[in-house]
Amino acid sequence: MNRQEFQKFSQHGLVFAIIMIFLVLIDFQTMFATVISKILGTNVLRGGLPEVQFMVIFLVLYSLWMGWFIARKEENKSRRIIMTLVASLSAGVVVGLFGLILNSLIQSGTDVRRYLAALSPESMKLFLLNLEGLGPLALLGVFTVSGLLGSVLSIILQSPSVSKWPKTIKTGISSTWQKITGSLPPFIRKNAKFLAYLVLGIVIIVLPTRWGSYNNFVTGLVGLYIILGIGLNIIVGLSGQLVLGFAAFFAMGAYSMAILNAPLPHGLMWGFWPALLVGVLMAVVAAILLGLPMMRLRGDYLAIVTLGFGEIIRILLKSDLLSNFSGGPRGIQDIKGPTIFGFPFNNDVQFTYLIIAGVILSIFVYKRLENSRTGRAWLAIKEDAIAARATGINVQRNKLLALCIGAAFAGLAGAFFAARNQFTGPNDHTLMVSINILSIVIVGGMNSIPGIILGAFTLKGLPEILREMENYRLLVFGGLLVFMMIARPDGLWPAKRPQLEKKIKPDTRDGDSPGKGDKNE
Amino acid sequence: MQSKETSTPQIKRSKLPKQIRQGFGIIVLLLILWRLYLVFGVEQEYTVDIWARLLISGLVIGGVYSLIAIGYTLVYGILRMINFAHGEVMMVGTFAGYLVLEATKSITVPTPDNTLLSFSNAYPIISVILAFAIGMLIAATTGYFLEKIAYRPLRKAPRLIPLISAIGASIFLQNFAQLLFSPQTRDYVNPDIISRGAGWTMMINDSQVILPYTGVLTFVLSILLMIGLYTMIKKTKLGKAMRSVAMDKQTAALMGIDVNVIISRTFIISGALAGAAGVMWGLHNGLVYYFVGFLPGIKAFTAAVMGGIGNIPGAMLGGMLLGLMESLGPTALGISYQLKDVISFVILIVILIFRPNGILGEALSEEKV
Repeated sequence: MNRQEFQKFSQHGLVFAIIMIFLVLIDFQTMFATVISKILGTNVLRGGLPEVQFMVIFLVLYSLWMGWFIARKEENKSRRIIMTLVASLSAGVVVGLFGLILNSLIQSGTDVRRYLAALSPESMKLFLLNLEGLGPLALLGVFTVSGLLGSVLSIILQSPSVSKWPKTIKTGISSTWQKITGSLPPFIRKNAKFLAYLVLGIVIIVLPTRWGSYNNFVTGLVGLYIILGIGLNIIVGLSGQLVLGFAAFFAMGAYSMAILNAPLPHGLMWGFWPALLVGVLMAVVAAILLGLPMMRLRGDYLAIVTLGFGEIIRILLKSDLLSNFSGGPRGIQDIKGPTIFGFPFNNDVQFTYLIIAGVILSIFVYKRLENSRTGRAWLAIKEDAIAARATGINVQRNKLLALCIGAAFAGLAGAFFAARNQFTGPNDHTLMVSINILSIVIVGGMNSIPGIILGAFTLKGLPEILREMENYRLLVFGGLLVFMMIARPDGLWPAKRPQLEKKIKPDTRDGDSPGKGDKNE
Repeated sequence: MQSKETSTPQIKRSKLPKQIRQGFGIIVLLLILWRLYLVFGVEQEYTVDIWARLLISGLVIGGVYSLIAIGYTLVYGILRMINFAHGEVMMVGTFAGYLVLEATKSITVPTPDNTLLSFSNAYPIISVILAFAIGMLIAATTGYFLEKIAYRPLRKAPRLIPLISAIGASIFLQNFAQLLFSPQTRDYVNPDIISRGAGWTMMINDSQVILPYTGVLTFVLSILLMIGLYTMIKKTKLGKAMRSVAMDKQTAALMGIDVNVIISRTFIISGALAGAAGVMWGLHNGLVYYFVGFLPGIKAFTAAVMGGIGNIPGAMLGGMLLGLMESLGPTALGISYQLKDVISFVILIVILIFRPNGILGEALSEEKV
């Protein structure tokens, strides 16, 4: 190994050490250790700290990842070990030096929390594994040893005998699955799909009554975000327009419900269902008003303009100008819930049913739209607007239609949201709501219903269950958006159609695409 | 599904949107003129000194907006993408300047007449220069790594993908700052000589109008930085390379220009300008918190669009104009000052409807690669 390579690998280690230092500065490691301890069954009190061993587990996991990441691309096995040794030693030394600084801070009793808010003495002690002066050395040891273990792990995982495992497991599962399905009576085999839906339906009907109001609250929230995600997906995923002010349409629905169905600012009390209809209509009207002049703008301009539109709506709702009309910064309270045939909807269980019905409705509408003539027109516009126009698609009209339908979904979700919380205010409709919805669509997978459901569960449901993550949620969102764009632009659960295209592409390229050659030149 | 019926009739004929647009424009113009006539001609409740104060604050804010807008324009000119995280780069600069000023405040030095003074009061010029230098340095570093991590791997991806990545980076930086420095709002500690509110007093119309030192500093420094940048773009080799990369990346690469290096340097320059703007913002407005970059970022984008995105003099002009409109607008139109952010957003929308090329902009068709 020459000097240049030595420098290169120690730089790799340095990057990981710097990431670690940044994580410590925002106290990320304590949160992660708490989550680990919760997963392993030891509950940590709110505001309390996890036990030391979980911090060790976090550090070991981090440096295993580091070792694996650095070693994974090198062919030669002995070189792998050497380069990880260099990298993890340099990482360990830097983190150890950082530990020394932390230790001296603890010893001198300096409170740095005025500037670095997260760096409390307790969490610093925990990061030094409660070893005080020996902490930095222990950090060096942990980083070096488990970094090396990471490289060994990468060698094992990439060795031919082990890398076959996923395939063998897959074939094993599918063969046993076939055996099971083969042994079933023909009646079940014929109606398998129907039966699966039946089981799912029974689960949906039974579960909300069984598992307590908190779980229902989380399920309802996830359901609302699924509706919102499907709505935004029609705009972003199908017709290819990036809209950052989606919360404005959500606010239209929520405020229509609030104004028409709450006693205070106006006392209209129209009832839930008319207000729901008006909410959806208002969202559509807002979409038309915004969309009509904006349809000729390109993607990135449209994003900023819709962001501006969302902020205008929020500032107006918050301002004194409209405080008589919409309650100003305090919002509107005591919004009445729906009644069906005289039965009032009050508790979370009934709202969960209502929201699940909304989700099923929106999935149905989405599925019908996706494979319709309009849906195909949207996809064509997304791929190439000029080519779509050449084939006779009215681009502006179809884009506006997508915006309106997406906004209608947001209006529906907004009305549900206001009625369920019995309250809505300007802070429910900030830019962060729009960003949340966008993250769900992007992370889950554009144009893929299972992807959106998965995205809503991971991004909205998981942080509700793991309350420790709450502060770090948006940080993780932001990081995920960047990471997904670089590593998996199709999302966690990609839609089927793009994959089909990729498989077909090589055949069609030499055959019937005469225009393509001209474009490249 | 009701949207189908409501949306179709308006846009069946292709000529209608243009007429709607023009009609809408005339109505907006008439409304504004009517308000202006009411405020200036009929009510006349604001005297000259109030207008002078608003003018001063507008010019100062305009200088800050111009500096940030130049960053948007430089990046857009070269990469054809909106650097959505640019406001957060400015926020990083503001925090860096804040920390430097706090540090200089906490160090005490003896003075000739044997009293102890804090460093920032003993040597105010040095400490302010230090704040600007470190603020620009840290912001430039942020810009450099931002490009390297979040944008460079996506150089060849479809348009929307780098934009989403930029949004992600923006949220990441915001929340990182929030976790690092806590969500509380902090006061910028200026050296006593240029404390906020201090300034030259002028008598206009028998009432005092203060011309604040921080405001003058901000305005003069922003003009100097802009002149420096402009000469750099026009005269130096780096500027020439940047212009050629903005024109055509492939041809520039064929002429022996390392495109990646030039893009990196563009991000460094725009980051440094945003950092300077951030320190100015802190010195003049006095508040620093994690969200401080968001509104100036969006508004500077508005300014860049207004001047014609991709056009550097346009960004300077747009920034000044936007600062003035935002400061004079609420009073001139007789609406509540709460709504001054709405004015900028409305300006953005109106400009994008009527003149997406901006005041000094080039034709859009060229950008639609």
